Amino acid sequence: MITQDTDFKQALDKLGLVQQRRVGAAFVRNVLALNPAVTKAVDAAANEDTTADELAVAFKQAKAAALDSHTRCGSDSDWQAQAGYFVARAATALVAPDKQAKSPAWEAAVNARMARTCGHIDASDESMHEESEAQYRLLEQFLNDI
Amino acid sequence: MNEVEFLQWVKGPAFSIALFIFVAGLVLRLFEILSLGRKVNYAVPKGDPMQGGLREIFRRFGTDKATFQRSMLTIVAGYVFHIGLFVVIFLLAAHVEVFKSVFGFGWPHLSTPVVDAFAVITMLALVVLLIHRLQHPVKRFLSSPGDYVAWVVTFVPLLTGYMAYHHLLLSPQMMLGLHILSVEVLLIVFPFTKLMHTFTVFLSRWYNGASMGLRGVKS
Amino acid sequence: MSTLTLERGINAFKAQIDAPMASFFSSCVSCGMCAEACLFYTENPEPRFTPIYKLEPLRRVWEQEYTLIGKLKAKLGLSKPVTDAELAEWQELVYNNCSLCGRCTLICPVGNDITYMIRKMREGMVASGHAPEGLIGASTRAVQIGSPMGVKLPALQAQVRHLEKSSGLEVPFDKEGAEYLLMLSSMEIMNYPEYLGAVAKILTNAGKTWTLSSECFEATNSGIQIGSSDIARELVSRVVAAAEKLKVKTVISPECGHAYTALRWDGPNLIGRPYTFAAKHIVEVLDELRAEGLLQTEGFEESKLTFHDPCQLVRRGGVVEQPRNLLNMVAKNFVEMADHGTLNWCCGAGGGVSANEDAEEVKMKAFQRKKKQLDELHVDTLVTACANCRIQLEEGMEVNQMDIPVLGLTEMIAEHLVERKGGAA
Repeated sequence: MITQDTDFKQALDKLGLVQQRRVGAAFVRNVLALNPAVTKAVDAAANEDTTADELAVAFKQAKAAALDSHTRCGSDSDWQAQAGYFVARAATALVAPDKQAKSPAWEAAVNARMARTCGHIDASDESMHEESEAQYRLLEQFLNDI
Repeated sequence: MNEVEFLQWVKGPAFSIALFIFVAGLVLRLFEILSLGRKVNYAVPKGDPMQGGLREIFRRFGTDKATFQRSMLTIVAGYVFHIGLFVVIFLLAAHVEVFKSVFGFGWPHLSTPVVDAFAVITMLALVVLLIHRLQHPVKRFLSSPGDYVAWVVTFVPLLTGYMAYHHLLLSPQMMLGLHILSVEVLLIVFPFTKLMHTFTVFLSRWYNGASMGLRGVKS
Repeated sequence: MSTLTLERGINAFKAQIDAPMASFFSSCVSCGMCAEACLFYTENPEPRFTPIYKLEPLRRVWEQEYTLIGKLKAKLGLSKPVTDAELAEWQELVYNNCSLCGRCTLICPVGNDITYMIRKMREGMVASGHAPEGLIGASTRAVQIGSPMGVKLPALQAQVRHLEKSSGLEVPFDKEGAEYLLMLSSMEIMNYPEYLGAVAKILTNAGKTWTLSSECFEATNSGIQIGSSDIARELVSRVVAAAEKLKVKTVISPECGHAYTALRWDGPNLIGRPYTFAAKHIVEVLDELRAEGLLQTEGFEESKLTFHDPCQLVRRGGVVEQPRNLLNMVAKNFVEMADHGTLNWCCGAGGGVSANEDAEEVKMKAFQRKKKQLDELHVDTLVTACANCRIQLEEGMEVNQMDIPVLGLTEMIAEHLVERKGGAA
C-alpha cells in the first residue's frame, strides 16, 4: 500500500511512458471538472493506441489551454480560474512529446493536486492531502490491473 | 561702412562680443545643468562608477555591428562631418593664427589645399545629413527649428570660408568679413542650441557610464 | 492619494529633474538612433515611438523651468506650456510602448540614459492621473494585500505544504539568523510554483540555511513600474523590514527582472540609506554556489538551446556571465543569439507592459523582434530566468505558432542537481 510520495514517485517512474500517460490520465480525470477544455488531450493520453501525431495535436491544445487560463501578470488572482490552469498544465505534462516528457505521470499528479487546492486556497487545511490519497489509490488500482 | 571698416569691425569689437557671449553662454549652460545636482546613491556598487564613466566616454565613439548597419548613413556621414569640421577649424594655418591670438599659443597645421579638400567633404557630408534628416521618417519627425538653425550656422561658415579662399562671388575681403561674421553668429547661438552637445556629450556619457559602472554592466 | 492634477504632475516633473537629465536633454542631437534600438519602434515603425520623443513633455518642462533660453522662449510664446491633453496623449508612449528595457540607453551615441528619464517621467504621469488602469490596480493590490495579484499568505502556505509533502524538503518560515531570505514573485507563486521547489532543493543540498518570511514574500514592486516613489518605497520597506527582523545576510530576489532592479538598485535610494544585508538575484546566488563547489550537476540537455537575457538582470543589472556559467554546466549545445548579453532584445513585456491591458496589441508586435532572433537560430529550446519573460515568450510562441518550449534556468539546474554528501536532506 502506498502511503507516501517517495514510494508513489518511484512506482510511477518504473512505468513506461505509455503506462505513465494512462495512469496520469486517471489523475487528471479526477480534477477534470475544473477545466473540461482539456478532455480531448486527457483522452489521448489514456488511449495506448494514440499515435505520436495525435499526441502532438493534443499537446498543442493543452498548451493553448494552459496559456489561456493563466493569471496575467499584475491582474487580480482568481484561484478558481487558476485551478483550470493547473489542470491544463497537468494535461500538458501528460501529452508532452517523448523527447520532452520527463515524468509525465508525476507532473500530472502534482499539478492535479494544485488544481484541487486552488478551490480552497484561502483556507488551506489537511483536506488538501485528500487528492494525493486519491492518487495513491488510483495508482494501486492501475498496477493491479496491468 | 565700407568693406575695410566692415572687416575691421568683425575682426575687432564684434569678435570680442561674440567670444564673450560664447564663453558666458557656455558657463551659464553648464551651471544650469550642474547646479541641479544629483542625489547620492545608496546602492552597493558592483563595479566602479568612475571607471564606468570614463569607459563610456570612449566606448560610445564606436558601436556594435548590428547597430551600425541599422544607422549606417547617420554614423558614417556624421563621422565624416565631425572629423572634417575638426580639421577645418583647428588645422588650417589661418585659424591657428586666430587661436594663437586668443590663447597665446598655437600648434602645427596642415597645408591649406588639404584643409580645403576637407572643407568640401565636410560640406558634402552636411548636405547629405540634411537631406537624410528631411527624408528619414524618424529624423524628420524629431527635428525642430533648432535642428535646422544648428545646421545653417554650421554650414554657412564652411561655405563662406571656402568662397573666401577661392575668391568666389564677392571680393575676398568682403567674403572674409562675412565668413568671420558667420562664425560670430555661430559662437553666439552655440550655447543655446544642441551644439552644446560638443561639451555636454562628455557629461552625459559620464553619467550614463557611471550608472553602468555602478551596476557592473560591461558591454 | 491626494487629487491627481496637471499641476501636481508638472510639479512632480520639476522635482524629478536633476543634473544628468539636464545634461541628457542638452546633448540630444535628434539623430534617431534610439528608435532603431527600441523594439517598440522597430516592430511597429511609427516615429512617435522613438524613445527620446516619449520624453517631450518632460523636456519642455525642463527647458522652460531650468534654462534661461527656455524661460525666454516661454515668455515670447515660442514654447507652449504642457497641457493635460498632452499628458493623456503621452500615456500610450510612456507606458504601453516602453518596457524600461534600457537598449536605447545603451545605444545612444551622446550617452543619454533615456530609460532613467522615462522612469522619472512616470512620476509626473502618476501624479497627474495618467497611468494605466491595470498598473493602478496592481499597485493598489500590492499596497493593500501585499501582492499585485492579490496572492495572500495562505496560498503560499498551501503551495509550501504540497512541496514539502512531494519532495520531503523542509521549507522554513521566519527562521531567524538564516543566511538567505528568499523572496518570490506572485507570478511564480501562481503560475510556476515549481520554482520554489527548485530553489529549496538547491539551497538545502548546498547546506545553506534559508527561510521565507510570513510577513513579506513579494519581491516585485508595482510602484517602480507605475512610477510612484511613494508606493515603491512602501513596498520595498516591507522587504527591508522582514530581512532586518530575521537578521539574514542576503535577500534573494526571484526569477523576475524588475524585482531585482527594485530591490538591488532602487530600494536603498527609496528608503534613503544602505541596506544592512546583501541583495542578490537567484542566478547570482546559484553561480556563487557553483564557484564554491556547492552546486554539482550531472547529465546534459540534449537539445540545441539558447538564452533570452532578461533586460533588468543582464543589461540593467550586470548579471551577464552567471546565467551562461550555469547553462554551460548542463548544456552541450548552447548557442547565443546574434544580439546577446547586454545587447539582447527585450521580450516586450517588462516595465509594467504585461500588467497593462491597453498594451496587449503592441506587446505582441514587440515580440516579433524576439521571433526574428529565434528564426535565425533554429533552436529546440529557449531558456530564461524571469517569470514575466516566460509568459510573454510562451504567449508569443503560441500566437506565432512556434514550437519552442521555454524553460526556467533555476528549474533546469535543479533537475540536473547531484545530491551532495553532507548536504542537509
